Amino acid sequence: MKKEDMVKLISADGFEFVIDEKAAMVSQTIRNMLTSPGSFTETQQRQVTFPDISTTILEKICQYFYWSLQYASGKETEFHIEPELTLELMMAANYLHT
Amino acid sequence: MAMKSSDLRSRIETESELIRMCIEAATESGNAVEAWRRQRRTLERMPSLLAGALLHRLLHRRLLFPSLLEVFKHNVEEIDLRGENCVDAEWMAYLGAFNYLHSLNLSDCYKVNSAALWSITGMPNLKELDLSRCSKITDAGIRHLSSIPSLERLCISETGVTAEGIMLLFSLTNLRVLDLGGLPVTDMALSSLQELKKLNFLDLWGSEISNRGAALLQVFPKLSSLNVAWTKVTKLPILPSLAHLNISNCTITYLFKGEGDKARLAKLVASGATFADVCGALSNVETSLVSHLDLSNAHIDSFYFLPHLSSITYLDLSGSSMADDSVANIACIGAKLRYLNLNNTKVSSAGVGILAGHVSNLETLLLSFTFVDDSALPYIGMMPSLKAINLSSTRIKGSINHEGSDSAAVPSFLALKDLTNLERLELGGPQIKDAALFPLSSFHSLKHLSLQSGILTDESLPHFSAMQNLEHLSVRDAVLTSAGLDSFSPPPALRVLDLRGCWLLTEDAIFLFARKHSKLEVRHEHVSMSLSDTGGSSYLYPSEATSKTSQSKQRQKISLLPSRFDNSALKSYPSKQRQKMTHDRSRLLETDQRLKYTREELLALQFSSTLF
Repeated sequence: MKKEDMVKLISADGFEFVIDEKAAMVSQTIRNMLTSPGSFTETQQRQVTFPDISTTILEKICQYFYWSLQYASGKETEFHIEPELTLELMMAANYLHT
Repeated sequence: MAMKSSDLRSRIETESELIRMCIEAATESGNAVEAWRRQRRTLERMPSLLAGALLHRLLHRRLLFPSLLEVFKHNVEEIDLRGENCVDAEWMAYLGAFNYLHSLNLSDCYKVNSAALWSITGMPNLKELDLSRCSKITDAGIRHLSSIPSLERLCISETGVTAEGIMLLFSLTNLRVLDLGGLPVTDMALSSLQELKKLNFLDLWGSEISNRGAALLQVFPKLSSLNVAWTKVTKLPILPSLAHLNISNCTITYLFKGEGDKARLAKLVASGATFADVCGALSNVETSLVSHLDLSNAHIDSFYFLPHLSSITYLDLSGSSMADDSVANIACIGAKLRYLNLNNTKVSSAGVGILAGHVSNLETLLLSFTFVDDSALPYIGMMPSLKAINLSSTRIKGSINHEGSDSAAVPSFLALKDLTNLERLELGGPQIKDAALFPLSSFHSLKHLSLQSGILTDESLPHFSAMQNLEHLSVRDAVLTSAGLDSFSPPPALRVLDLRGCWLLTEDAIFLFARKHSKLEVRHEHVSMSLSDTGGSSYLYPSEATSKTSQSKQRQKISLLPSRFDNSALKSYPSKQRQKMTHDRSRLLETDQRLKYTREELLALQFSSTLF
């Protein structure tokens, strides 16, 4: 996999998640950040920091991105959400427009 | 207003799959709720719409209880508890602590009484309160409400409030919408509300106001919507800002009499009203501005006022004395007409002929229970914008016998084939035969087809299979057989199949059909609907509930000649039931030739099948 096809998402506590750009684009917010014209640091360095999203939640979000791609291509598996994560995940989803 | 935010709420859920899944997971069970309900700081930070969506989902899943309400008090702005009969004083005590609440709907919460309203006194941001049909709320409750000056919208229709309680509302000077429907509002009570200068919507249906009270309505300068249905009002004064008026079931002598400009009404509902002289009564209405007129079941002496309604788009004359000789009055204002309801009138095909060519924008034409017959169909075919037609309970047969040639009957539905926008067609009549339906299979835009005829048989079914866009098919009271249903391949987009009154179908046949086409909702007397699944509207048996979730969209594929009973499907039934089905199979082969039987014999057959 080429480096250009990957993006880096950084959680509030500094953990870095390197994922497929295609997966990250499931989020409308990330898509806008990465594709907006001009020289934003996000666009250039292909990384986005989320000071409000914890590592646990960001990990779950990344899992969701991949699950969503799979689902769109017709593969139906269940995406399990632990009830204690629901609130924070919901807010992150709201922020990320995913 | 309340609608707007609940729309937003449902949009949040539909737009974001992840949010929807989170809400589902969070409200899966009482244990799931326990897993997050102590995350107070997160709950406090939650955006209002998300919190609202979560709260309402909990409510629908019966997981919401008073003390759980507390976690939402910092952010929820709108709560809709319509018809929740668990809501009582304890709920109200918690709701009173919602600092940001601006809309609260408690309609039909019958346990909410006057004392319970004490909890919400002094709520700083409450603007909308709906207490409709909370019959335990009396004047004492209204006393509590008078301490919420921020109220802009108050609905207390059909509560226990009396005229004296209504007088207490005078202090709520920010009120814009006031619904007092079904309350004994007297002329005096109305006069005490004169200070509500911002009022633009007032509902007084079924009240005790008379013409004297009606004359007082002039004190509300912004009044734009008024309902005085079922009252003794016979005359109304000039109300310059009025746009919507409902005078249903009133006896009207005149409207808006006095000096000044004519009333600029856009919508007039006078269903069941009696007019001694309708032209005179409407003489002070700027008729060229009226776009919506409902005169259903109204007692009207003439229709000569109709030609003045030059911008009318919605016209309901159902159940009125409209007949062919007055149709010309509709034809001359037909240019903008989109909706025309002539159900239950004396209009016949000749009348429809007068309309043809004058109603180029008409989208909905309702002619059920009229004298219309097949000769009207060519005229209807000349109305190019039609989307919905109702011809049920008319004399339509679906074929025209040309004079002279006694054998060749021409299918009359062919006349509708040029209506390229037609989405909804309702036909019904005792004489519609299978053969008459073949033109329907070329109506590609049709989404909703409804047929009711006692002589339709299995041979009607193949006509429907080719209708690409058909979503709702209703074939009622027909003599469809189980074998016929089994070999029917539903059109690809079909969602609902209504077979009510098809008395020959057996429970098993419907069961198997529903199994084979799991995306379909089948309606029949033998089918008990699962009410819990309101959103999905897919019909399923309890045993299938688990497999349904894993069914993929591709399963929609339907073979043209389905194997009648494959054994693997049968294995899943208990042996007794299996026996019954195999028995049915042999019986089905016999009934395939049902046309040999008389109706009595068929009835006997159906009876015998229920015995097994």
